[in-house]
Order: sequence, then structure tokens, then C-alpha cells
Amino acid sequence: MTVKSFQVLSLLLAYPTIDIQAASCEFSDILTGEGLVPTEHLAALDRLIDEYRSRELLDLQERYVLLFDRTRSLSLHLFEHVHGESRDRGQAMVDLKAMYEDRGLEIDSKELPDFIPLFLEFISTLPKEDAIDLLGQPAHVIAALGERLAKRESGYAAVLLALAAMAEVDPEAIKALLDEPDDDPDDLEALDAVWEAENVTFGPGSPDEGCPKVDGMLDRLAAEITSPAKAAGAETVQSGSANNG
Amino acid sequence: MSHLLDRLNFFTAKQSFSDGHGVTTKEDRRWEDGYRKRWQHDKIVRSTHGVNCTGSCSWKVYVKGGIVTWETQQTDYPRTRPDLPNHEPRGCSRGASYSWYIYSGNRLKYPLVRSRLVKLWREARKTMEPVAAWSSIVKDKAKRDSYTKIRGHGGFIRADWDEVTEIIAAANAYTAREHGPDRVIGFSPIPAMSMVSYAAGSRYLSLLGGTCMSFYDWYCDLPPASPMTWGEQTDVPESADWYNAGFLMLWGSNVPQTRTPDAHFYTEARYKGTKSVVVSPDYSEAAKFSDIWLHPKQGTDAALAMAMGHVILREYHLDRQAQYFEDYARRYTDMPMLVRLVAKDGQYVPERLVRASEFEGALGEDNNGEWKTVAFDEKSGTIVAPNGSVGFRWGDKGKWNLEEKESSGDDTKLRLTNILDQDQDGVLDVAFPYFGNRDHDYFEGTDHPDTLMRRVPVKKIALAEGEAYVATVYDLFMANYGLDRGLGGDNLAKSYDENEPYTPAWAEQITGVPADHIITVAREFASNAEKTKGKSMVILGAGLNHWYHMDMNYRGIINLLIMCGCVGQSGGGWSHYVGQEKLRPQTGWLPLAFGLDWSRPPRQMNSTSFFYAHSDQWRYETLDVSEIMSPTAPEGDWGGSLIDYNVRAERMGWLPSAPQLKTNSLDIAKAAKEAGKEPKDYVVESLKSGDLELSCHDPDDPANWPRNMFVWRSNLLGSSGKGHEYLLKHLLGTSHGVQGKDLGEMGHTKPEDVVWHEEAPEGKLDLLVTLDFRMSTTCVYSDIVLPTATWYEKNDLNTSDMHPFIHPLSAAVDPVWESRSDWEIYKTIAKKFSEIAPEVLGEEEDVVLTPILHDTPGEIAQPMDVADWTKDEVDPVPGQTMPQIAVVKRDYPNLYKQFTALGPLMDKLGNGGKGIGWNTEDEVDHLKALNGVVTDEGPTKGMAKIESDIDATEVILMLAPETNGEVAVKAWEALEGFTGRDHAHLARPKEDEKIRYRDVVAQPRKIISSPTWSGIESESVCYNAGYTNVHELIPWRTLTGRQQLYQDHKWMRAFGEGFCVYRPPIDTKAVKPMLDRAEGQDHVILNFITPHQKWGIHSTYTDNLLMLTLSRGGPIVWMSEIDAAKAGIVDNDWVEAFNSNGALVARAVVSQRMKEGTLFMYHAQEKIVNVPGSPVTGNRGGIHNSVTRAILKPTHMIGGYAQQSYGFNYYGTVGSNRDEFVIVRKLTDVDWLDGPENRLSPDMEAAE
Repeated sequence: MTVKSFQVLSLLLAYPTIDIQAASCEFSDILTGEGLVPTEHLAALDRLIDEYRSRELLDLQERYVLLFDRTRSLSLHLFEHVHGESRDRGQAMVDLKAMYEDRGLEIDSKELPDFIPLFLEFISTLPKEDAIDLLGQPAHVIAALGERLAKRESGYAAVLLALAAMAEVDPEAIKALLDEPDDDPDDLEALDAVWEAENVTFGPGSPDEGCPKVDGMLDRLAAEITSPAKAAGAETVQSGSANNG
Repeated sequence: MSHLLDRLNFFTAKQSFSDGHGVTTKEDRRWEDGYRKRWQHDKIVRSTHGVNCTGSCSWKVYVKGGIVTWETQQTDYPRTRPDLPNHEPRGCSRGASYSWYIYSGNRLKYPLVRSRLVKLWREARKTMEPVAAWSSIVKDKAKRDSYTKIRGHGGFIRADWDEVTEIIAAANAYTAREHGPDRVIGFSPIPAMSMVSYAAGSRYLSLLGGTCMSFYDWYCDLPPASPMTWGEQTDVPESADWYNAGFLMLWGSNVPQTRTPDAHFYTEARYKGTKSVVVSPDYSEAAKFSDIWLHPKQGTDAALAMAMGHVILREYHLDRQAQYFEDYARRYTDMPMLVRLVAKDGQYVPERLVRASEFEGALGEDNNGEWKTVAFDEKSGTIVAPNGSVGFRWGDKGKWNLEEKESSGDDTKLRLTNILDQDQDGVLDVAFPYFGNRDHDYFEGTDHPDTLMRRVPVKKIALAEGEAYVATVYDLFMANYGLDRGLGGDNLAKSYDENEPYTPAWAEQITGVPADHIITVAREFASNAEKTKGKSMVILGAGLNHWYHMDMNYRGIINLLIMCGCVGQSGGGWSHYVGQEKLRPQTGWLPLAFGLDWSRPPRQMNSTSFFYAHSDQWRYETLDVSEIMSPTAPEGDWGGSLIDYNVRAERMGWLPSAPQLKTNSLDIAKAAKEAGKEPKDYVVESLKSGDLELSCHDPDDPANWPRNMFVWRSNLLGSSGKGHEYLLKHLLGTSHGVQGKDLGEMGHTKPEDVVWHEEAPEGKLDLLVTLDFRMSTTCVYSDIVLPTATWYEKNDLNTSDMHPFIHPLSAAVDPVWESRSDWEIYKTIAKKFSEIAPEVLGEEEDVVLTPILHDTPGEIAQPMDVADWTKDEVDPVPGQTMPQIAVVKRDYPNLYKQFTALGPLMDKLGNGGKGIGWNTEDEVDHLKALNGVVTDEGPTKGMAKIESDIDATEVILMLAPETNGEVAVKAWEALEGFTGRDHAHLARPKEDEKIRYRDVVAQPRKIISSPTWSGIESESVCYNAGYTNVHELIPWRTLTGRQQLYQDHKWMRAFGEGFCVYRPPIDTKAVKPMLDRAEGQDHVILNFITPHQKWGIHSTYTDNLLMLTLSRGGPIVWMSEIDAAKAGIVDNDWVEAFNSNGALVARAVVSQRMKEGTLFMYHAQEKIVNVPGSPVTGNRGGIHNSVTRAILKPTHMIGGYAQQSYGFNYYGTVGSNRDEFVIVRKLTDVDWLDGPENRLSPDMEAAE
């Protein structure tokens, strides 16, 4: 039993090709038919799907490259937002790959395990409840991406926001996400806040025995990049272990 | 009684077993998995980072489940020897963060192409063959403009390999057919760091007849003083040899910051007790290494060096003659050689070195007498032509050596000076040029006259032409340093306090360094060298070499080392580590890289002259030749502009040209045949008659444009492109920030020999293709971007000048996504090219022009004077008075087959390098056995295969003396024929050693001593440059065969650099025209300096968040507190720096460590990371090179003259950039230019 809606959303987030363009005429019916996507998101999704018919493929591709290949903060690789440059990223991918293999699926494309369309295809093969459950784990990253795309008034926001809505996201975590400053690299104020130098106090009685400058900066950076996803990332690893065990 | 009392209620006894070695607990131990996972891996692979860095550090790359998880430093380098620290661990924070790149959001994952281009292409391909399709696009101006004008503005789509390589191949084939194959240009730097990846592109281009571009000179890392003095591109000690020094100077180099893996040797040397002096205008990281820190005003280092030389000469050569120094000067330098003095404007000036041919009977030297320099011999009391000069190198056998002999075999003792009354025929006032009085708004000068008349003891000798005054180089050298030797006269100093160039007191005015510091350092430097026989060393770098007059900085220091006998001695000498020049198995690599196994000669071009001409930087030239001319210049027409000098150098066969001829080089041999002439004669006659034209005379004519360009392993536009904005405007034809007006608009004098077009071309390139693993600034401006394998995804080789090991890059995992190794990419392009070539190309004859090359018999071409055949001063003779002309056969439909097999010329012509050659049939046979032979029918059947990147590494390793002991012995034996001395003993113990790729994967291997280099690998000494010259008596590859302190070429004399002098920085005049733009706002004018940085290697790692976190997260410039206060700038303010070349925007770092008057922008910070807009240009703030422009120096164009002959990356114009000034002001409104108007496809995004 598969959940085709996830497959549709996976294809919508994949690089637009002539095949996807051809198949896109069925997308709306599947989404409506399965009734998985909350109805308030269907209109926005339809607008995106319509573009597959109304726009030239080259334009769709150009937009995709600009958004997802060229803009790091919109990367469709989950761990870019969870682990960033950290060396934990490699291990996290190894764990994720193991989870797919436990479910009898091997990656047969040149994509990494944390690529969102690939992940969506994976959950589309699961029973609906499992799929929703698993989707909940990276939902914070997905929601964050949706927000960023919405800010750019991109039609792609519809896909990610729909996914976020389908997942059972912990409302506390959403609140935490919304409390975080947006990390739009083009936002000067936000950038200033991130890179602002911390006052340094030396010697005994200083608030921190370590290096407060570095600690402070690292904390804020970590929060900046990972906070929406931190919880999700941790859960992913846990679930990976659980599946292994 | 309750049993509660019988048992423990709060404790339980520890349950132990195995005699107490084991304890049973029930705690949860799953936390340990975290640790286990951290160190679990499927395999560890050895690789390194092929970035432009001398580090060459071996790393362990950990792979788990097919995914690279992290890297750590390798610690298995072969040991050095007792009493010498080991090399490892090598590596730094930059390399340690590399694994991030592989899966990063910045990684290039798929081939990208401009959608506008691909749309045109697909449309055309519906009805046309590939070449015709390309033709239909580029010949239609509207179509061409539609994708070239938007370079840098996005608009990419993913494409598949088949399609993009077809576009590229079609463009290349079209260009070769329509304009000539030399219009296909390729730029890639530093082959030593991944030599197979470099060779992939250069092999393709060379087989095609395309042009490979140099990098070392363009990066301004080439120190032309090295070829001038030693005939050697650059050869330096390994870093371990620092430990052997007794006195170390760091001069304009920042070892802990930029040579991180080697810095430990410096620290260890200090623990050993080595004295350390650091010369740096700012309090750099290196300054902490110093016992004495000297901080001269930036750009005045030559003055400092000259004053130190003044002290050393006074105390160790004149007032007291240190025996070791004197002996060294006599045997290893040109100091005893005789220089003719000629009268000019009533003054005597030093002219050429006297040659044997100028005497009646030519001193018995019938062979190359014009190239044999002469000296007085104290033994015979006559003038002799001592062994070793370049005339002995070619044509004579066994006399090219530094034995103290003349060619008859008699022993000699050359006389250094004619100071004694009985040795001289009088004393003459000789004129030396002085430049330290020239006006410069920001550099202090003195008011000494233009010519300094100084007294020199002379000798009158009889030449065939008549009597002539001569002096030794030694005596002129002393006079040049302003040393009073008791001969009377002006402009000479008896004491250090006198204000005469070049006393310490004089230098204090120029440099700001107290005279007593200069005296102390000079004395200790020389004193150590005298006691240790030359163990004083100077590590010098880009801080000195990037100035326009870098030769003076370098020669000033080289003079110090030579006058103290330090060159060629372990623990001594010069250590120039800027630019990674040392491709150790070079002679094995050359055939692979330039297709020498199939056709010779390859086309190679010096990049500085190329970019100067083709990004039209010459159209904005502000430096008039008269500003750098010497008052003592020989008679002659010294008119014209800098590009005129370059063009003259090209047509006289000094410098290469690309493109070469206005006519397609594939059509010339045919035309010659039709005219019934030999191609060579036909070309000479047609050039003379004007039927053929050299492209250099009209670089703006569309017939002479470069058309296709490949960039790989480089960030040309984001990092190294001097005059970045000019490249954008003229070469690429896209939006740019050029502010200045060209010569036409300014009404200035235009070049004499170069055609001026009122309308400057914009967008010369039809196609720009970049290969990279990350989306660099260059990629952003390209038409097609090809994703390459990272350094953990390919097999390759890596060497460095810092250590003697060769080690690999090896594939830990397959290239991810759609990326491929450079080798595979060029193979793919070659294959596609061969498939489509027959549409327009078959077997062709290609007429190739090459300059007169160093280390070939042709290098002795123009001995006495400079003569231009276009002015009828001399006949055009290929290879002698003009470029060499060759006809090369191209087999375009079989280019792929040639690419993947070792061609027949290795058997037929052998191999070699640096003037020596040897038979290589054995090695070819071994390669057939090792790599297998081609079995397919065709022109390559039976030849050794070069299919994979590993096959390619084996070709290099098998053919190179450094990695194949048998070849090393052959190479040394070949050299023995020249020198008449035994050298093969240096390699014989290793004759059976053959290093293979798998060997270096197992462990880095030390290379084998080879005559390609001037040092040796041995168990008793460290590698040190010049070692074999001093200890094996192999001459330096110069005119005199000795270390040449006097440069006698006519152009050297014309520009006042016969001897080393102090020259202040040039005035680029880039600030004044822009001052009105800063009116009414606080600003400060600062010298713009671009050192190497700490948190990146050039532009690599500057887009890495880890490194950005350690810095400030975006572009920054450093300035002093005083300058900041002047312009009302505080730390972390956004500032704009601009001049007529363009503008850049960055945050200010205000620091007390900075010297007033300078602005540092550590290069190279990417345009793609956090850069707001510039109000001056209205574009996103530029990169560090946005405010620079290349300015050529005529002395770097000299050719056909022994060591001053062209060699690829050996000699040529250099891209200096330190003399530039900028206006700096606070940026009040920061505009991130993120409005919809700045997006390429506003309709797409706005519509949503």
C-alpha cells in the first residue's frame, strides 16, 4: 500500500523534467483523491502544478537551479540544515541510509540519503500512519524551508508548507522555530546580530571559565542554523538507532 | 530480630570476577555507541588537498557506508634523520574542514548551462549538425549577446553530460575551423597539486592546438629575479632545512599563517638557538617569531636590503676580506667578469659584459665566442674566457662547469678587483641611476640627483674594435652600493651616518627603520654566515614580490645572500615559497601534459600579457614608459607605451603570442603549398610583406579575439584576475565596475604599434567553460559549468617545494551526483570532439609560432644588441630574430585515441628537460607492460594505454628521473656530457628504485635526485637550492654560468636595473580621478595590500561556515586605528574602497597591529558570500582585484638572451598589484541589492 500523495510531492520537489511535466496533469487528482493534504493547501499546490503546464520547462528548470542548487539556505538536503559543516553529518547520512535498507530499499540514484524528494518517496512506500510519523521527524526543517520560500513568494512554499501541515509537529517546536530569527543571508540586521563580537572578560570572576567569545558565538550560530531542526535531527538519529536495534 | 539488620539496605557488594579484573554492573552502556560510531569506518583512504598551497599534506579520509565522514592527519611520513625534526604531522584547520565540501550545499552537483544558450542550441540542433549549430548561434549578434551579456546574473539549468560536451566540442571545432585552434584557451594553475587533473585539460588543448596559459607569472608569484640571477624559475630549500640555519630572516612572508604545516620547523630552529629577524610592516603572526622585528614602510624593502648590503660589503669585503666570502664571490658569481664602460652624454656608464668574440682571435673561442664572458686571470696575467658561461653549454663538450679553468684546461684564479694601483689603468667616474628622488604622493624620497657619479677603478684593454675601458662587476657593484674605497669623488660614503644612497642613514629616511637596527641585523647576518660557511637564510614572499619593482626587493636580498656565500649551502639561501611551482616529476609529466608524445611544440602563453591585451587593460594605461626609464639609458628610440614594448617582444621572438596570427593557422601551410614554398619561408616572407599579420598588433580586431576559454582547478575571476572589472567588461562583456576612462576618452597618447579602435570590444569570448567542485565566482560568470570530483574522489599525484615527498590524491568514494574527475571530463570532451570533428576538420597542418626558449640551444640568439626586423634593423630569421616557426600535424578525428595512448614521439625523440635529453625506449616498454596496450585498430594500436587517471600517474612516474632511478642515472649521465664531470653517483644507489602509484598510496615516498633540480635528496643534507651548482660545480643556467648580479641586457640597462637599485612604488594614478566621488565625506587614501589569509587558501574555504565563523563571516579589510579615525570609521563598519579600476565593499577591522597608510584585504574573499552593493559602481561590491589593474614591466619581456629567454611559467610579465591606492570611506547606506530588479528572471519570482 503506498501513499501516492507523497510521491507527487516528491516529484514536485525534484528537478523539473519533461517526464514530470507530462505526469503533472494527474497530480491534482491524486492529491484531492487521497485527501491527505489539508484542503487549505490544495489551491496553492494547484497553482504550482499549473505552472508545469503553463511555463516552459527551461524556465522551470532555471528557477529550480536558482532556488535549490544555488541557494544554500534553501538546500533540499535535510542535513545541510541540521548538521551544516559538522562532521556529524556523515554519520547521520549513514544512519538514514541504514533505515532505508532496513525497509528493503536501496538508493538507486546519485542522490544522498537526506535529499527531501528521496525521503518523501521512501515514506510513500510506508503505511500511512508510519509515513506521517516519520515525516514528523524532519518536519521542522521542512517548515523552515517553507517559511523561507514563502518569504521569497515562491510557489514551492506550497509543497513544504503542506508537508509541514501533514506532519504531526510538536506545537512547542513550532513556537521555538518561529521565535528564531530568520537566517536570510540577505538580511543585514540578522547578519549583524550573528557576527557581532561578544564582550570578552578575562580572569577570575569572569562569567565563563572558557572562552566566552567563542562559546557565545558558537551557541548563537548553532541556534541560528540548527534550532528549527535540532529536535528533528536528534529524533532522526534516535529512530535510526531504534530501527537498527 | 528482623533480617533487615542482617543485610545491607543501602549498599550492595561489588560482584567481581576474573580475580577482580571484571566487575558486573547493570548500568546502561548504550552511550558508548556514540564513541564506537565515531571511530567505526569501512576504510581509510590516503588523499590530500589540491588547493594552491605548498602544504601538500597527507590525510586519512574515513569512509563509512560509501560516505566520507571525516579526515585526520596522516602521520606516516618517512623519518628524516637523527638530529633533524620530522615533517609530520602536516595539515591545518583549512584542510581539516575539507570533507564538508563534498556534501555541501555549495557543491556543484550537475553540469550547468545557461538556459538561454541551451535554448538556442536545442533549436539549432533540430536542423543542423553540431558545428553548424554553434556557428548559427555565435555568428548572430543578437543570439550571442543574449547569453554573453548576462554572464554573472544566474539563469542556469542542469544539463546532461552528453549535451554539454557536445556544445563544447562543437564550439572548439568551429573555433579551430573558423578562427584557428589557438583561439581555444585554457587556464589552470599549479599542476604540482594535482598534476593529472592539470594534464587532462592541457593534453586535450595541446592535441587540439589550443593555448595553455601560464599562472606563476600571472599570480605574481614568479620572482623574475630568480631567472635573472640563476637561470632557474625558482628552486628553494625544503622547510626542514630552516632547522639547519644559524640565522633566519622572515621577510614579507608570514610562515605561521600561510605555511602552517611547516611552521614547526621555524619554532624548532628557534629552540635550537637560531637567531630570528622578521621584516613586516604590520605586526603579523610571523612577527611573534622574531628576536628583532623590523617594520619598514611597505614597498621600501629594497632600500632596507641595499643598506644592509652596504654594511656587509663595508665590513666583510672591503675593510676586512672574509676569506670564505671572497672565495665564494670569485668562483660562484659573475663578480670577476669584465664590463665595458661607454661614454654617454659625457658620462661613463656600464654597458655589456665583454665577450671573447670581441678580441682579436676571439681568445681562441671559435664556438659561441659571443656568449663567453671574460675575466682577468691572476695566474696567467691575461684575460681568459673561463669555463661555464653559456657559450660553453652549447656546442662545446665537457667544458660547461665551474672548475677554476679556462677552455684550454689551464687553471685560473680570476681577479675580483682592480683596486690596487698596479692592476688598474686609472679611475673613472661612472654614472649610476637614482630613482629615490622621484615624486610620489605617499612615499618619502630624497633629493639626490638622477645620476650618481661614482668612482670605479678601470682597466684599458684592446678589443678588435679598438681600446675600451672595462671594470669588473665586483668594482661596479661596490660603487653601486655607494661605498667609498679611497678613490675620492662624490656620492660615496665613508661612514654609515652619511646621507648617501645606500647607507643605513639614507635608508632610515626611506624605510623608517632606525639605522642602528639595519647595521645590527646586517652584521649578525654576515657574521653568522662567515662562521657557518653560509648558514644564513631569508624566507621571503608575496609581501615583497607583488610590487611592481619586485625585482629590486628580491635582488637586494639575493645580493645579501650571495655576498655572504649562502646560496647552495644547507641552512642558507633564499626560500621563496610563493606559488606552488615544484612539480617534482616534471620531465615525466611534460609529455603527458602537453601531448609531447604526439606533437611538438605545444602552444603556451604568458597570461599577464594575454589578459593585459585581451581584457583591454592596456586601453586604460596610466604609466608612461618615461616614468620608469633610466637617466642612463643607452641611446635609442625608447618611445611607445607598455603594450608596444610587449608587442615588440612578441615579434622579436622574446615572448609568446596568443592568438598568434590573424590568419587561421590551419590555412597557412595550405597557402604555402599553393605558393610553392616551404611553410617557414612563406610565413617569414608574408609577415615581412604584410600578407600575414601577428595578432598582437590588433588585439581588438574580432579576427584576433580569443574565442573559447576553459578554466579548471582555478577561480580565475574570483581570486587571481588582476583587473577583475576589466575582465568582466571586455573579455566577458557583462556588467562591470570599471570607472576610469580609456586613452581615447582622455585624449592621451595612444600606442604606436597597436591598432586603436574607438569602440572597445565587449565580450570577446564566445564560450567560457569552468570545471569546479563548488560554485565559485568564476562558475557564476561561466556559460557552462562542469562539476568535478573533489580531492577525495579522484586519483592523482601531489608534490611540494616544502618537503621532498611525492604522495597521492586517491578516490575514497566515487564522485557524487553527476560529478566526474578532470581526467574523465576532458576524456569525454575529447571523445565528443573526435566524433563531431569530421563535420569540418580532418587531418590538418597547423603552423605554430614559439618564442626563443630557455634551456635550448636557441637561447643564445641575440648576443649584442636589440634589433627589430619590422624596422629593417635585421633580417627576420625564425628562432633567432623572430619567433620559431613549426608545422605540426593534427589528426582531429583521432584526437580521443591520441589522448588515451602514449604516442610515438617518446620512442622516436626520447625525453628530457632543462636542456638535456635521454633515450626513453625502455620506459615506454615498461609502460606497455604496466598499463597494457591499445588493441583497437587505428593509429594507436599497440601503444601503451592511458585510459584511467591511474594510468596517467604511471606515465608520469615511469618517465620521470625523480621517481624512476634508472631514468635518473640516464639523466645525470646526459648532463655529464655537458659538464665533463661525474654526477651519476648522485643517483646510482637508487638505480633500481621505481616508484609506482600504489607505492605512494601506501606511504609518501621521497623522490630521487635529478638534474632537473639544483638540490639533492640524500641521507646527509636537506634539499637546498643551488647545492649541485656549488658542490657539483654545475654552472647556473645564466649567461656567465655563475650567479649573475649584473644584468647587462640592453633593456635592463635602459630601465636602470643593470645593478640592483631602490625604486619607489609606481604611481598608478587611480585615485585622483575619483576624488570627487568622495567629496563632502570623510575618507582616507590608503595603499591597497592583499596578503594571503588565515581562514582560507586563496578563495577555497572562504565559503566554508567553519572558517567564516573563525573570521568575521564575510569580506573584511584591515586598517590602522589612526586611519580609521581620519575617516570616522569604527570597527565592524561597512566601508567602500574604490579607485578608477572599480570598487569593493567590506567590513572594517580596525587594529593597532596595522601600519598607518595601508589597507589589507586578505585575498580572496568570494563575491558569492555576504557582499552588499557598492554605491560607486551600483553593482554588488567587487572582490579584492576589483581595484587593481595589471601593469607590465618591459624588463620582464626580454628574450633570446640566455637566462633571459622565455620559458612557460619561467619568465615573462607578471601581474603585480601592490602599488595601487584606494579611497576608503564609510558606507552609510548598506544596500544588499536583493530587490527584484536585480534578479535575472523577475517574472518568475514576482509572478508568484
